[in-house]
Amino acid sequence: MATTATLTLASTDIAGDPVNVSKVATLTKAGSTNDLDQSTGLNRVHLRSTSNKVLLAANAEGDNLAAKVYIINKSDDASLYVTVTINAQTIGKLYGGDFLFIPWSQTDTDADIEVAATNWTSSTGDIPVEYALFHEDTDFLTNA
Amino acid sequence: MATTNATIDLASDITDSSLAVSNTTELNTAGTTTGVNTMTSVTKVLSSTNQVDLIATGSVSTTHAYVYINNPSEDETQYFNITIGNAGAGSPTDTEEIGRLYAGDWMWFPWDVDDDICVTPSTSDDMTIEYMVFS
Repeated sequence: MATTATLTLASTDIAGDPVNVSKVATLTKAGSTNDLDQSTGLNRVHLRSTSNKVLLAANAEGDNLAAKVYIINKSDDASLYVTVTINAQTIGKLYGGDFLFIPWSQTDTDADIEVAATNWTSSTGDIPVEYALFHEDTDFLTNA
Repeated sequence: MATTNATIDLASDITDSSLAVSNTTELNTAGTTTGVNTMTSVTKVLSSTNQVDLIATGSVSTTHAYVYINNPSEDETQYFNITIGNAGAGSPTDTEEIGRLYAGDWMWFPWDVDDDICVTPSTSDDMTIEYMVFS
């Protein structure tokens, strides 16, 4: 049961020479070489709120365990963004098409991952967001 | 302006029906279709378990950036705690832990450049960390 995540960064003109970085990670349990064995699968939600909504609820049992989160803003509008926060700490803004892939430590039950369609209005339309969680621990349940 | 693409490919057979995700995005300045034009690429070797201010807000002149961090270690006991917040004068309580970057792991995220990105190595052995910032 393996999960791999590959990131490729490519540019022909951001530097004097072409940039091409490719990195593959095989997702493992904390401090081991054993594969992560649980997943929420791929989920899709439509955001239409400027206030924070819990995308993934933290569980203190997840503290010190391995978990990886993938979130993508599937909007075609480059100006529409989703603000991603952990425990009210803003991480960044996913503009249309942008994605993130991060490890997630649930240091306590306040470490929820929340999203907000910060510049959404009734005329912009919903912002589709897809996400997936890969994790370990049988007691580690989420709201997904 | 430069054209820079980031592509993610996820492949998993955890579930009975395997998962395969592939997406590419062009790295643009905030809310536009204009490509980012600045790149920083750094490799550091850390030799203590002290928290280190890895990427300071002052190193970026915009309010939207993309960050790549990689732990190239092959020793599964070597990980970095990745935090965001104002580490100010060794005050880790001001930071929020994002997660642990285990050996061989990488992370990619947009950064709003409001607070520094800090790391804490798990061991005092020489541990290499690599990062890139696009803005």
